[in-house]
Amino acid sequence: MTAYRLASGGLIDRSHTLGFSFDGASLSGHPGDTLASALLASDRLLVGRSFKYHRPRGIVTAGPSEPNALVTVGTGARRDPNTRATVAELYDGLAAVSQNRWPSLAFDLGAVNDRLARFLSAGFYYKTFMWPSAFWEKVYEPLIRRAAGLGRTALSPDPDAYEKSWAHCDLLVVGSGPTGLAAALVAARSGLRVILAEQDFLLGGALLSETMRLDGEAPVVFARRAVEELHGHPNVTLLPRTTVFGWYDDNIFGAVERVQKHSAAVDPARPVERVWRIAAKRAILATGAEERPLVFGGNDRPGVMTADAVATYANRYGVAAGKSVAIFTNGSSGYRTARDLAAQGVGIAALIDSRREAADAAPEGVRLIRGGSVVDTKGRQRIRALVADRGGFEELIACDALAMSGGWSPVIHLACQRGGRPVWSEALQAFLAPDVSGLVTAGAAAGLYRLAECLEDGARKAAAVVEALGRTAAGFERPVVGEETDPSFTALWHVPGAKSKAFVDFQNDVHTRDLGLAVREGFGHVEHAKRYTTSGMATDQGKLGNINAVGILAAMRGVSPAEVGTTTFRPFYTPVSFGALAGTSVGEHAMPVRRSPLHGWAARNGAAFIDAGLWYRSAWFPKAGEKTWRESVDREVRTVREHAGLCDVSTLGKIEVFGPDAAEFLNRLYCNPLLKLPVGKARYGLMLREDGMVYDDGTVSRLGEEHFLLTTTTGMAAGTLAHMEFAAQVLWPELGVRFLSVSDQWAQMSLAGPKARAILQALVEDDLSDAAFPFLAAREVRLKGNLKARLFRISFSGELAYELAVPAGFGEAVADAIMRAGAPHGICAYGLEALNVLRIEKGHVTHAEFDGRVTPDDAGLGRMMATGKPDFIGKRLSTRFGLTAADRAQLVGLKAVEADKDMRAGAHLLKDGAKPSTLNDQGWVSSACFSPTLGGHIALAFLKSGRERYGEKIVVWDKLRGVETAAEVCDPVFVDPENRKLMA
Amino acid sequence: MAYDYQTVHALEGTIGAVSERRANHLSVHRASAIASVLAAPGRAAEAAGILVASGEFEARFVAPGEWLVLSDVHAPETLGAELSVRLGDFAFVVDQSHGRVALTLAGPDAARILANGIGADLHIDAFPVGRAANVLCNHLSVNLARTGGDRFGIVVTRSFAGALVDDLKVMARSHELSVDFDTR
Repeated sequence: MTAYRLASGGLIDRSHTLGFSFDGASLSGHPGDTLASALLASDRLLVGRSFKYHRPRGIVTAGPSEPNALVTVGTGARRDPNTRATVAELYDGLAAVSQNRWPSLAFDLGAVNDRLARFLSAGFYYKTFMWPSAFWEKVYEPLIRRAAGLGRTALSPDPDAYEKSWAHCDLLVVGSGPTGLAAALVAARSGLRVILAEQDFLLGGALLSETMRLDGEAPVVFARRAVEELHGHPNVTLLPRTTVFGWYDDNIFGAVERVQKHSAAVDPARPVERVWRIAAKRAILATGAEERPLVFGGNDRPGVMTADAVATYANRYGVAAGKSVAIFTNGSSGYRTARDLAAQGVGIAALIDSRREAADAAPEGVRLIRGGSVVDTKGRQRIRALVADRGGFEELIACDALAMSGGWSPVIHLACQRGGRPVWSEALQAFLAPDVSGLVTAGAAAGLYRLAECLEDGARKAAAVVEALGRTAAGFERPVVGEETDPSFTALWHVPGAKSKAFVDFQNDVHTRDLGLAVREGFGHVEHAKRYTTSGMATDQGKLGNINAVGILAAMRGVSPAEVGTTTFRPFYTPVSFGALAGTSVGEHAMPVRRSPLHGWAARNGAAFIDAGLWYRSAWFPKAGEKTWRESVDREVRTVREHAGLCDVSTLGKIEVFGPDAAEFLNRLYCNPLLKLPVGKARYGLMLREDGMVYDDGTVSRLGEEHFLLTTTTGMAAGTLAHMEFAAQVLWPELGVRFLSVSDQWAQMSLAGPKARAILQALVEDDLSDAAFPFLAAREVRLKGNLKARLFRISFSGELAYELAVPAGFGEAVADAIMRAGAPHGICAYGLEALNVLRIEKGHVTHAEFDGRVTPDDAGLGRMMATGKPDFIGKRLSTRFGLTAADRAQLVGLKAVEADKDMRAGAHLLKDGAKPSTLNDQGWVSSACFSPTLGGHIALAFLKSGRERYGEKIVVWDKLRGVETAAEVCDPVFVDPENRKLMA
Repeated sequence: MAYDYQTVHALEGTIGAVSERRANHLSVHRASAIASVLAAPGRAAEAAGILVASGEFEARFVAPGEWLVLSDVHAPETLGAELSVRLGDFAFVVDQSHGRVALTLAGPDAARILANGIGADLHIDAFPVGRAANVLCNHLSVNLARTGGDRFGIVVTRSFAGALVDDLKVMARSHELSVDFDTR
């Protein structure tokens, strides 16, 4: 045994014991422990295997930057891989297993990679697995992924709930250490709305492991008192267990709160994690500083930890990292750890200081080696000894833990996520945050490492925020801090004379030689070196190692770290689960369902529904005995052609337009003339894009001199409204026009078929004779029972047809009444599929035809273009050479030559006998169906110079299905080309 | 044949009588008189003045020169005509009584529940009583109005009413919420 639980001390509750397991072994810890501190207390130094070489690895840090101690927590669907043991709060029943080892953590066959290391240098994938190229996806990548990797994700559906919430504040304080608490106190007392976010489960940050006294008391007492005061302010929100992971536009911060990640029993009424989107007027980053590891031979052996982590485990968790701890430092931090350990009675093997001279004093009785270094460590799965070097004299020093301190790096990630680059400080030998607006770093995050400085800086910067927001800053009395040591250090990027691999990036197994290889092969730029060596590309994003990589690259290139710079900082600061990011947008909540006001009517009539965008539309209405959808659709089509049918068309977009310039506005919006549309009449309209292609089609009805109603296709309803807003606000702001969507106000149904008039007349007070209500009439009518409605004599099927609109709530009742009135006439309900067949038979186009490549002339609607109008959207570019070429694909009809051969949309057209090729391509099928009216398969298609080719036999080539169908080119209007039925 | 048409509410059959009212309650208005008012070009101030002057209307801001007007005094069938008469040439009026569903969310956690889907700052100082705005609630666009300290009015398009109520229930997962039609 080496690491052990101290007899007293720490912020753990020793009166309670929590049972947990690691790789099946039953262990115990206390409330207040992290998984890492409990593992350490149980002398579990070996917790993982490294990514590439499968080297034994132990805990390195006591915080969120941990590169090594990644474990899988939980079982079954709740298995969370790659959990950092150093931030995983211990709970009773926690089950953790190690990763990336087989068959076991202690005996891992993958460790052979370490022996093969000289064949596995940086970039070896690119050099080795180049040929044959087809092997990469099928063979090499799966092999590499299996050998090198992290935990496995759970593949069963996530049983837990997640949530996303918005929060707003005057000041967001990130981090609850001395700086953050001082800032939050000042802002709260000044009346600001404050959010204090802390990734830890306890508020207090560094104060939780600090031994320097404040006002003569333990720092944690100050922290508790501050938190208590903040709790009392109604304008303060405290968010423990909340990691602020990103800084976005408009000073919005993303944060993830672990609501129930610290409990074995999950309450289904609450989310397990919650993503906060925090809109902050200002933010203070009090995120502290990260201690750097030192890059020396064997620096990855279990038992080697940062000095700050060793002190934190001792002070906060009451755990000694070893019985004989060696310390290797380049500054005063190592001495502080030595003092803390000595005070706890932990043995210190030696204190090795890379500096020849320093004012720091080692605790009494501790052996101090100045101007020394560590060049190697010994031991198999835990450190047993180190090799110290001073001036070439090597000495083996026995130890069971090694604390390393390479100086400090302010945690500035958030401040650099929006493009600002970190700024190198020669004085601090560290990168500091750039000047950015809306956010400021304070305390250790700003390079101020003394406790008193942190408290003062937090209070001062919060006061500045208060003043900037136009309020008066409240006071803050800094507690008295004892004499603090000089926090300086002498940068030591890489320790010369390494006897074994000296790791820079622990998680991705990048060592100094890899960086050297990168520089040698021309990848010395920091962004190139990162990708060449994968340094900083692991899940920890190089929080520990990047700064050393930069320093080493600088040294290798003979320049300053300022010249090397850093790689780009991006969200997320630490990994965030997909579940948290998805929030509640899962299942039906990912895409809201839109229901027609006639949904109940359709359901009562046995509709089969289909998703159409967000809408849920009736597709067909199967009757007893009908086995396939085609049987139902064929019957519906025949019924409409012979009798009558009722179809829900409520989903069409409906926009009402008002104003003295409404007619002029529409005249410019549509390509066809609308100025002289009479009141009480409807007209088919085509809108173009600026480039001359069709944007959308629909009808325009004039309900009054300055009052129009237009319909859009279902899919383009929102787009058309936005298009109109753009035209009204940007293109022609001088026009007096107002408009808005009334799509939801009206239930609209199409009654089509030769019996339509007879059926409708039974319900309508007004005269519906052809003379009184002719084709394209559009006006308000009164239904019997005194219900006002809008009636339009328009047809998509080619039959005598009406569209009747009633206030949505009355839709079902009116549809039921039509069905009752139509029963003696043989009426049926018909759905989207029959509607589609009916319109194909009549040669009417939809967005299957208007696919963005089609001009009005291509669709056979060229005569609608009112080129005499002074202007309309699309007019200018419609005259482009390519858009008027004679060999453009034109809308035609196709009839399958053999009755049993069908065609499908998407198939291509070939001349009879031509080989399938892009060169021989003659066009495409846009819509196809079986026509019950014609008794064969028909299609609408676009064919080169198609209108000149009626009667020609062509081949419909469907590569997807491997089918070729002979078809005859014909006029696209298959049914009633003289419009006799329409005008009846 | 007798023609006595009955309206069907967008949420008919999807919400029902609850046994108990909980701390937070989502009340769905059975019949709402709602109309859109669009000020005639250049006439927004006059139209607003008329809407505010009358105690019979509750005008909720939608966009510059555009309001949703709700009324407890007028029936859905008559609100549009009433507004047209009052506003004259200053505005265009469109009945939306069937196109919109009005709801009221009230209770101590109302603002917190809404913060689970709405990005607007709902602090009483930032969004005081009487304020309204068109906002996104998760995927849906709604008009949100503060009608009391712990009370919000929501107006949603009819076709999305069901989806909104489903969403609000999920947004209120960690809070006590009951949903029912109003008793009015």
